[in-house]
Amino acid sequence: MTAPIPFTVIGGFLGAGKTTLLNQLLADTAGRRFAVLVNDFGALDIDGKLIAKHGGDTIALANGCVCCTIGDSLVETVLKLLDGPQRFDHIVVEASGVADPGRIADLGVLDERLVRDGVVVVVDAANVRERAADRRVGDTVLRQLQAADLIVLNKVDLAEDLAVLRCFLSTHATAPVLEGSHCAVPSDLLFGLDRRGASGKPSPANSFRSWSYSWPEPVDRAALLDVLQDATVLRGKGIVRFRDSPDRRSVVHQVGKRVDITDGGPWSDTDESQLVLLGVRPVLGSL
Amino acid sequence: MSTIVYAARRIVTMNPSQPFATHVAVRDGRILGAGSLDSLKGWGKFETDERFADKVILPGFVEGHSHAYEGGVWKFPYVGYFDRTSPEGKRSPGLKTLEEVVAALAAYEKTLPRDGSTLFAWGFDPIYFTGRRMELADLDKVSTERPVLVLHSNFHVLNANTPVFAKANITRHTNVHGIVKDARGEPTGELQENTAKFLAYRATGFDLAGVLSDEEATWRFARVAQLAGVTTATDLHNPLPDSTVEGYLKASASADFPIRLLPAFAGASVPTAQAIPRLKELMRKNNDKLRFQLVKLVTDGSIQGLSARMRWPGYYDGTPNGVWNVGPDELDRMVLDYHRAGFQVHIHTNGDEASEVAIEAVEKALATAPRWDHRHTLQHAQMADAGQFRRLKALGMCANLFANHLFYWGDIHYAKTLGPERAERMDACGTALSLGVPFAVHCDAPITPIGPLFSAWCAVNRLTASGRTLGEAEKIPVADALRAITLGAAYTLKLDEELGSIDVGKRADFAILDDDPLTVAPEKLKDVGVWGTVLGGKIFEAPRS
Repeated sequence: MTAPIPFTVIGGFLGAGKTTLLNQLLADTAGRRFAVLVNDFGALDIDGKLIAKHGGDTIALANGCVCCTIGDSLVETVLKLLDGPQRFDHIVVEASGVADPGRIADLGVLDERLVRDGVVVVVDAANVRERAADRRVGDTVLRQLQAADLIVLNKVDLAEDLAVLRCFLSTHATAPVLEGSHCAVPSDLLFGLDRRGASGKPSPANSFRSWSYSWPEPVDRAALLDVLQDATVLRGKGIVRFRDSPDRRSVVHQVGKRVDITDGGPWSDTDESQLVLLGVRPVLGSL
Repeated sequence: MSTIVYAARRIVTMNPSQPFATHVAVRDGRILGAGSLDSLKGWGKFETDERFADKVILPGFVEGHSHAYEGGVWKFPYVGYFDRTSPEGKRSPGLKTLEEVVAALAAYEKTLPRDGSTLFAWGFDPIYFTGRRMELADLDKVSTERPVLVLHSNFHVLNANTPVFAKANITRHTNVHGIVKDARGEPTGELQENTAKFLAYRATGFDLAGVLSDEEATWRFARVAQLAGVTTATDLHNPLPDSTVEGYLKASASADFPIRLLPAFAGASVPTAQAIPRLKELMRKNNDKLRFQLVKLVTDGSIQGLSARMRWPGYYDGTPNGVWNVGPDELDRMVLDYHRAGFQVHIHTNGDEASEVAIEAVEKALATAPRWDHRHTLQHAQMADAGQFRRLKALGMCANLFANHLFYWGDIHYAKTLGPERAERMDACGTALSLGVPFAVHCDAPITPIGPLFSAWCAVNRLTASGRTLGEAEKIPVADALRAITLGAAYTLKLDEELGSIDVGKRADFAILDDDPLTVAPEKLKDVGVWGTVLGGKIFEAPRS
């Protein structure tokens, strides 16, 4: 069986910058084939030269990506995509402005061809606190923040008081926060580490780094979880041999605050634990 | 050009200049006139038909808020708490305990072929049961081999048996919202959210949406409506895929199709820029019995589903506020787009915050693009208060109130969701009437059974299932309730110049009743028998069980 396709949900209130993020993703795919599911093509800014085929509710791009409108049923749109002839490396869904993206991410368990990746919530630094105080939509905004595995704090250039805003976010969300303007945050952090080739531009910010580790000896589960849950580690992926289950491969998948550990079958003698992490600075001296 | 004059015990016309008549003349499917036999003689040669001589004729009932899914579900057994009548006129008795439900399902299971096919049942309504919820073990008593799916009456919650959970691989480790788990972390058998339910449907290969909206379902819906005296019914939220449109066109082209059907396009299912040309294209296919013209937008969820958007102080029992399907900003944009394109928008609002947001969306659209006689309508508007009704009136809006809720969920609203004060003023027909807001009452079938006389009975008596009177002050007189299910509902659909009253030139659409709803005791209104209907002059007798 081929590896399951990561399934990412982009949430955030109307106007926060979800579409900006998707536009950047489509402009710089780093060789990966994304299927991007949106509510409306209208706001997508796709270079006309890139469009290979426009089929009403589907736009095929020359770089192997495809954009679809969600239509009446997201479930059906996703399944149609999986059953179609084209293969993708990643499926990204844009949630509606009032949706709970955590619920949508549940679709990641719907089919064995999918694997739930992260819930990325884009936050408008200029007005999130005002929105959160609005009696009609405040609870919706806070629900989205709580559902986030990673938060993109967008439009920081428009924020009046960034320190207060950071404090606000840490009160209402447990997810790590990436700050930027025009959603300029490294797409590796949001969409994972599986770059095919090196066609993409280097990450715009140098403050993000990746580390790879391998250990021949079994690893202590609690110690590893401690490292993954450090606020500076934003993404992790690997196959680990834990001391408490040395005969099994434990597949570790981390997006922001969410860590999934699943069984990956029996361990062979020659394998080593492998782990790749992305984060903001080295904190891994303990390993 | 034959003319038939029907004699009746009494004809209640809803025409204020001639409220009652004894005879109605029909020519070419339309009403040539109503009055006394003498007053109709001047139209020339006619035949007299005495078959309704002991019946009472009303304008055909107009169901302003129902769903054609009502037809689809009758392919499957009904296991609800209240009695319900099938399209064939067969009465399914209500099941009053969990044990009765399981026994009925087990008996039905024995009638199915031994091929492992899925048993699906609907209408399960445990809110009046005392004691525990339904569990996997209950439905395992129905079968341990065949997948068993039982959909609740609210259409949101699904119960299943162990074979379904095994096929779907739903275990204590399945981390999906809506898989209900017990104190030990084991799944109980109840599935509450779309994704959780979809796991079960997918594993069993059961295509609910498909079976609920085929051509046969459209026919069953029309028949079950006809049995209740309905001649015009809405299918008030449908994304209208080609397959559904095809089914509607085929069904409505038949002379035997017993209703006029008004599907409302699910206005948020595609971007408005695509929706508007599509709807205009569909309108070109309209015929006498099929009208594309309505748009439906859904703002919040339901009160009893704990997903209504409420203003302060919110749910009586402290449940957090509900969720937006279409939130305030998006609603503004969508209402404006459809409003500008000339459409009438029907906006689902259960909670009072949802009503407020919808009213304001229309207010903003009118400020940007003034338009007369738009008749944008709040659907349900269950918690709307007098202030909101005044705004509806000022803006030229209508309300279609969910009167049936008073009976089916009134006790729950009183005790848990709204508390006494707001429960007593919910579905405020009396307020709408006194403030002059054009209104209808509805059933939202299949959420509750289609039956305009029952809806009218609810508006008149405001009795809950347990017998509590919910809001004496909001009761309305029988005559006004009858208007709400005929001309009033037709007004909310912009059909009031064509049907809804027995008036010269209008369509010959009648409800034929065994008794006179204006003379029976008001508390007996729901029990007035429906003999059948007349649609465009064609007689449809209801089968008798």
